[in-house]
Amino acid sequence: MRYLMTTKGGAEADEKLFAEMGAFVEEMTKAGVLLATGGLEPRGLLVNSSGGEITVTDGPFLEAKDVVAGFALVEVRSKEEAIEVARRFRKIAGDGESQIWQVFG
Amino acid sequence: MTVEDVHRTIDAVWKLEAAKIVAALTRLVREVGLAEELAQDALVAALEQWPSQGIPGNPAAWLMTTAKRRAIDHLRRLERLERKQEQLAHELEQAPEPEPEQGDDVLRLMFVSCHPLLSTEERAALTLRLLGGLTAGEIARAFLVSEQAVVQRVARAKQALADAGVPFELPDGAELAERLSSVLEVIYLIFNEGYSATSGEDLIRPALCLEALRLGRMLAGLAPGEPEVHGLVALMEIQASRSAARTGPSGEPLRLHEQNRGRWDPLLIRRGMAALLRARENPRPPGPYVLQAAIAVTHARARTAEETDWPQIAALYDALLHVLPTPVVRLNRAVAIGMVRGPEAALAIVDELTGDPSLKDYHLLPSVRADLLARLDRPAEARTEFERAASLARNAAERAFLLDRAAALPAAPPDQGVTLAEAAEAFLTRDDLTPSTRRSYTQTLHRLLRALGARTPLTTLTPDHVARAFTTAWPDAAPKTWNRHRAAVRSFTDWTSAPPRAWLETDLSSSLPRHRESGAPRTPLHPDEFARLLARPDIPLRERALWSLLYESSTTIAEALALNVEDLNVEDLAPDRLPAAADLLLGLAAGRTRGPVFLSDRRPAPSRTPGPADLCPDTGRRRLSYERAEYVFKQKTKPLDPSGRGYTLHQLRHARPR
Repeated sequence: MRYLMTTKGGAEADEKLFAEMGAFVEEMTKAGVLLATGGLEPRGLLVNSSGGEITVTDGPFLEAKDVVAGFALVEVRSKEEAIEVARRFRKIAGDGESQIWQVFG
Repeated sequence: MTVEDVHRTIDAVWKLEAAKIVAALTRLVREVGLAEELAQDALVAALEQWPSQGIPGNPAAWLMTTAKRRAIDHLRRLERLERKQEQLAHELEQAPEPEPEQGDDVLRLMFVSCHPLLSTEERAALTLRLLGGLTAGEIARAFLVSEQAVVQRVARAKQALADAGVPFELPDGAELAERLSSVLEVIYLIFNEGYSATSGEDLIRPALCLEALRLGRMLAGLAPGEPEVHGLVALMEIQASRSAARTGPSGEPLRLHEQNRGRWDPLLIRRGMAALLRARENPRPPGPYVLQAAIAVTHARARTAEETDWPQIAALYDALLHVLPTPVVRLNRAVAIGMVRGPEAALAIVDELTGDPSLKDYHLLPSVRADLLARLDRPAEARTEFERAASLARNAAERAFLLDRAAALPAAPPDQGVTLAEAAEAFLTRDDLTPSTRRSYTQTLHRLLRALGARTPLTTLTPDHVARAFTTAWPDAAPKTWNRHRAAVRSFTDWTSAPPRAWLETDLSSSLPRHRESGAPRTPLHPDEFARLLARPDIPLRERALWSLLYESSTTIAEALALNVEDLNVEDLAPDRLPAAADLLLGLAAGRTRGPVFLSDRRPAPSRTPGPADLCPDTGRRRLSYERAEYVFKQKTKPLDPSGRGYTLHQLRHARPR
């Protein structure tokens, strides 16, 4: 089953963090767990539909702690494996929040 | 967290870490079976401690450290390699970080668990166990076999590896290619078992596909320089990309050209294409997996079925046939040729394959043939072939699909009379057959039904059809067996053509030659050749002793195998009576006081332990079986036998000039 993980917040990125995170990504890719990963720009676009009318604006404007910084798509056997991957990620990334959703289809 | 939550977490951590832990322990104790048991001990420790003490901060490292401690305790208990233990204990305290060679150890473990000396089933079970961290129950459910069967497979495999002393090494040179292909074969087998479940109700068992994909991706990370590894990964990624599109709303299989390509997983397709590119970076000529992946990628590139680049696919199949000249590849190539040059050209190739014994039970052969016949506007024949394909398909969804395709075609015109199935049914249910004759006839006719099609009108059958079915079904049958089947067909012909039925006008057995039974001239085993055989360095002591005993005495085979060490008395063994066997027997029994003289090579699996009379009290191995003794003799004497079949022990007993 697949899970999408997003991450918010975390320690200041320094060289050590980059190295550890690089090794972790490498390991998870080699293990066949990590399918895709990427960083997200702090501010994206908002597409809104209201009464059939579509409006596109800059945003969402979030506080720094709520900005979704990156995502990872993992393929695992169980919810628990997904949690374990997230736990390891947070150990490296530092304090903050990860959200996990199962992906269907 | 409840105890159950903790257990699920442990299971998850274990599955992510099993390969690394078992590999690291194998490096320490040098035996996979033992390494796995010690690793299991660590797992048990986690199950005992984590629920009460909480999950450790770094669960993976905890498991690894605990497992290594167990291994070192074990080595200490053995009191060997004292200096090495100190070094190990030192290392353990020094470096909780992953060692640089960890990846290599996992790769070594893969090579060991896929060792060619194991059967394919044993390799698959052991690999899922050691590298995927699956339990016997999980493996059993995936392969639809009993848990007991998996436990036995794994135990047998570990024992065989230990007996053979398979080293924990990376093979090199020519051996590498052979061993690597064994690993790839196992991974692809696991994938296929999941992807096109050969039996059972579901068409796909996703868990197995996932395991295979993960093993393949893992291998690609460990052996990045091997193009065939990337080829296999590419092939699996692309095939897996179609998982969601392969079945219709009610679970029926959809063929490639019927699938909704929008449901193909673009992420997996992209990964597959990337893997194929990596494979192609290597200048070596592409191997079978790279070529199959290239074919899969060509399909994936076509946005609609009509856009498929069939000439490219046919060309790739031509190349594949060079490196993998199997009947199944020929069949797939025929399908591609059918798309490029039309059904007639393809049917000619497929018809050639119908005589191939290895395809006699392969449902896709009649299924492809049926497709081509339908395209050639020969619906009655197509229908018969679809039905035949359905009767051979082992998967329920596939069977239903084939029957539907048959039903969509018009049946043969009704005036063609009795079908083969109806005639066979009438013939077998007549009341003047003895039960044993009926059993024997049933066996023959059922095989003919499968080969020729149940609904084939009897009058359209020719003696040549029957003869071809015979050579395909029983290519290596002993003359006696062949003649028994032939007699069944003769009786069937006689009965169906006799009044009042008169269904048949031709003798269906007329193209079946009678095979000569015993008394046929066979070159007997020559005494000189037997002497040379005994002197060969590759013949183990046990075989030399058994064969000499049978050759030199009038002991029967059963008596010889039943011999116990305590039965060997000096008088019988007088060298003048048994010039060669006497010494060999004493040598074989040396150091033992009782139990069977002739022992099997391995200890029996726990569930198969024989009675104490057939077990050696010293080694725990069981008495050598007749089948095994016969098999070894046949194998070793094959080169001596002009017919290539090898001699039987019975023939050995009669080889001695008396």
